[in-house]
Amino acid sequence: MSGVRTVSCPNCGGSLEVRAAGYSVSLGCRYCGSIVDISRPEVALIAAYNREAATFTLPPGVRGTLFGTEWQVIGALRRSDGEATWDEYLLFNPYIGYRWLVASEGEWQFGTMLLDRPEGDVDSVTWRGARYTRAMHQPDATTETVVGEFYWRVARGDRARCSSFERGNNSLSLEESDGEVNWTLLVPVRAREIESAFGLKRDDPVNKRRSLYVSRADDSDDLPRMYLISTVAAIMALVLMLVLAGPTQRAVGAIKAPFGTTREGQLIGTIAIARPWQFVTIHAQGSDFENRWVDIDYSIVDRSTGQSVDGYGLVEHYSGRDSDGAWSEGSRATNTQFGRLPRGTYDIYADAQAHAWPVDEAPQASGWNAPEVLDVRVEARTGSVPWGNFWTLLLLLMAVPLLVTWRRVRNQE
Amino acid sequence: MRDGAVPYTTCAHCQSLVLRDGLSAEVIGKVAVVPFDVSPVQLNTSFTVAGLHMVTVGRVRWGWSAGSWNEWFLRADDGSARWLAEAMGMFMLTVERPDILERPLAQTLVHGGTLIPGSDLEIDGEGYQVTDVKDAQCLGSEGDLPFPTLSGWQMTNVDFRAPSGGALSLQRDAEGTTAWLGWWFELAGLSPKGLREIEGWTVPEAMR
Repeated sequence: MSGVRTVSCPNCGGSLEVRAAGYSVSLGCRYCGSIVDISRPEVALIAAYNREAATFTLPPGVRGTLFGTEWQVIGALRRSDGEATWDEYLLFNPYIGYRWLVASEGEWQFGTMLLDRPEGDVDSVTWRGARYTRAMHQPDATTETVVGEFYWRVARGDRARCSSFERGNNSLSLEESDGEVNWTLLVPVRAREIESAFGLKRDDPVNKRRSLYVSRADDSDDLPRMYLISTVAAIMALVLMLVLAGPTQRAVGAIKAPFGTTREGQLIGTIAIARPWQFVTIHAQGSDFENRWVDIDYSIVDRSTGQSVDGYGLVEHYSGRDSDGAWSEGSRATNTQFGRLPRGTYDIYADAQAHAWPVDEAPQASGWNAPEVLDVRVEARTGSVPWGNFWTLLLLLMAVPLLVTWRRVRNQE
Repeated sequence: MRDGAVPYTTCAHCQSLVLRDGLSAEVIGKVAVVPFDVSPVQLNTSFTVAGLHMVTVGRVRWGWSAGSWNEWFLRADDGSARWLAEAMGMFMLTVERPDILERPLAQTLVHGGTLIPGSDLEIDGEGYQVTDVKDAQCLGSEGDLPFPTLSGWQMTNVDFRAPSGGALSLQRDAEGTTAWLGWWFELAGLSPKGLREIEGWTVPEAMR
């Protein structure tokens, strides 16, 4: 039996394919942009438009294989929050269901609607044992353009209240419209992966030449002195940081991070801070894994007061193959730095959960599998130097002399 | 006639709805053909969840003001019945739980009242919240079913969801109210066999 139902646009007469017949409710005509009700055997016009439908990077109908599954793009939405505009693509495979691709300023995310629901409040939610914190930007999305088919009633001007909760590179997106609440897990996908999956031809890299910066010649030369002052300031800052960092103490432990559930309250070790305050760095090193990530929540608990300082670490590694060959991304090691911990004795605890990329198996489906764990070695150290701060300082100190040098070199060319 | 315990059967050849009562069978009307769709499920598709094997014996297609959906009637190897509802490419597998109808919230529906999204109910220690209330009419049917799916057959469906992926469906029709409790699944999680072949698509290896 054919998998496609064909209907005519009641406005322009154009022939349109319905690829998810029985599920799809409305269709944006790819010729005139009109919105058509396809929920019944007889199609009906919901809103007539007579403008050329917008063009999308992935037009409805194209197919591609992502994460081992073949998907067909069946619908595309252009949405806006008043400032930014982004595209959302509805992917369909009758044996798998629906997924989303979200394209915003060249960045892509793959979305899976959740069967189970996160719980929490306005600031953070917990999903499958992991905490996601509310993102700064909470756009309310307005639909501007619609092409292709959707399993709900779409219209230009549709508004949805959106909230986003983040953890590392991933986010949980909550959309509320018409009394319906939907949660979607969004994970990043490389643009190259999308291009390769859907057979897109990449634009030839535009050979952008910056306009030549012409400066007037300097009358006197204070450049050497500028370098000298910057270098002396950087050395003084480094010495100060090393003095403040103080003596080093270590605590080393190992975590076996399970999938689907969080291992909670694992004691890594104990460290003592003998000075009025010190920095603490926690280094996590994952074992040899691929297309997995581990979320680690640290708690540094003061033994005398019971108060805890919390931090978050992420070890991740992904790889794959696209039109440009093999790629890999992420780091199996991560450092989490804690500033200013006052004198005292601290127990370091970690909660950890491992995840599969792009999506964990649903809990019911994975219930029969042998529990898989990822090993992560964790080392906490006092007396660490906040190197990030130092490099930033160095960059700022050197910025002016380096800029002057660069301008001179350019002018001599 | 394929299933003796389920009273209504739609004849696959003439679309007559037949009511069986003991040894006698009575034609009580004609049933609409289920409109074309790309559902991966068909009659005789089987599923295995937590060791329980189930076979699809019937389907009702429900329509509401903004769309339609399939409910597949399954017969489990232990003789019990299940409903498998299809929505948004996901599946809700439920088993009847008459005890839930005793709850005050369910009683509101039983006695003709309406429920509003957000109302909640605790079952087996978990909170279930009303997510969706729909008045639906039967658009067509096939196979063996527990109620007469003549055109004009109507029902009110109230869906509840729990944070864990749990699902509750309360359905009220002319014959009364029933309560069905279960889980949301993706198709792969139901270990399906005998799925429908859809032109242009390949049934994934694991589901063959």
